[in-house]
Amino acid sequence: MKRYISYAVILGLVWCFVHGTISFNNFVLGLIFAPFIIRPFKPLYNFKQDFSFGRAIKKIPAQARYFYVLIKEIIKANIIVAKIVLQPKINIKPGIIAVPIRTVTDLGITAIANTITLTPGTLTIDISDDRSVLYVHCIDASDPEAVARSIRNDLERYVLEAFE
Amino acid sequence: MNLIDISLEILSNAFLAIGLIFVFLGMLGLVRLPDVYNRLHTTTKIGTLGAFGVMMSILLKVGFSPIGVKAVTVGLFLLLTSPIAAHMIGRAAHRHGVCLCQESVIDEYEKACALKNKE
Amino acid sequence: MISMLTLSLTFMVLAIIPCIYRIIKGPSIPDRVIALDAMTTVIVVMLGIYSFDQGSVFFMDVALVLSIIAFVGTVTIAKYLDEGVVL
Repeated sequence: MKRYISYAVILGLVWCFVHGTISFNNFVLGLIFAPFIIRPFKPLYNFKQDFSFGRAIKKIPAQARYFYVLIKEIIKANIIVAKIVLQPKINIKPGIIAVPIRTVTDLGITAIANTITLTPGTLTIDISDDRSVLYVHCIDASDPEAVARSIRNDLERYVLEAFE
Repeated sequence: MNLIDISLEILSNAFLAIGLIFVFLGMLGLVRLPDVYNRLHTTTKIGTLGAFGVMMSILLKVGFSPIGVKAVTVGLFLLLTSPIAAHMIGRAAHRHGVCLCQESVIDEYEKACALKNKE
Repeated sequence: MISMLTLSLTFMVLAIIPCIYRIIKGPSIPDRVIALDAMTTVIVVMLGIYSFDQGSVFFMDVALVLSIIAFVGTVTIAKYLDEGVVL
């Protein structure tokens, strides 16, 4: 029941944004429609895991810090790749490297993979079968150890705090 | 009041110019870089942030009217879905047999796939 | 007097030219898929600017639906290349 309420609030907000006018009536309309959307696609929402409002609220400061770091990294990534595109002669050393990760839940792995794709010079290709190693295409792979270390120490710490 | 209007106008025009230049650079990288994976880098990162910048500039110009709110929805949707599409295309290209370009120095995914096929 | 709209739309049409080059020339299928995806992003940006200039909400609806269709199409083609089946 708690799961239904929290997902219904999120879907109501999405309905407001798609409709274009943010008002209380629209929000209530989205709230009424939400259970009919959630029920047929129940396997997609993880109902097995226990859920409490207190823990969700307690994570909000960590998530705010994570989004701040994410925005900073995205802007840095754009400047780096734009510099590479504007070079008169393209001089890069690309390659695919293996990065071991510590996150275990579905949400955590999705968050770390998308974060890696949006940050400077790296792009997630695949995950191994036992879900412990990410394969990352790197635009400057001359030093694989340093790239793996920077991902583990810098980004993954924020993801672990925010989503695990 | 007047000063706020002028500063919002300047800020939104700056966002618009930065976004358009980033989108153009992303499409330029599509031609200049050597193989599939490097092209994914430019379109995923630069193109998406450029589109988000243009949408934010439209929001700054019109405020929270239906056009502005829908522009923010489009920008957030692009920002959320483009890494997923890039990940799927990259994996499909590698399994489809597209090789890395000659400048590449290392490929550990190839080794892992070969090890898995041998077992 | 050249308006802001004309300038922006001309710039975006210039940005479409590399995409068309890559779609025609591209050595492999994933290249063409990436180029089509990038072209959709450019068209979404054009629709956004045009919607602002006309003051009409409906072009923004078109942009939203076009971005959703581009995402679903890219994922479908990727899955077809990967496994040989769509569903």
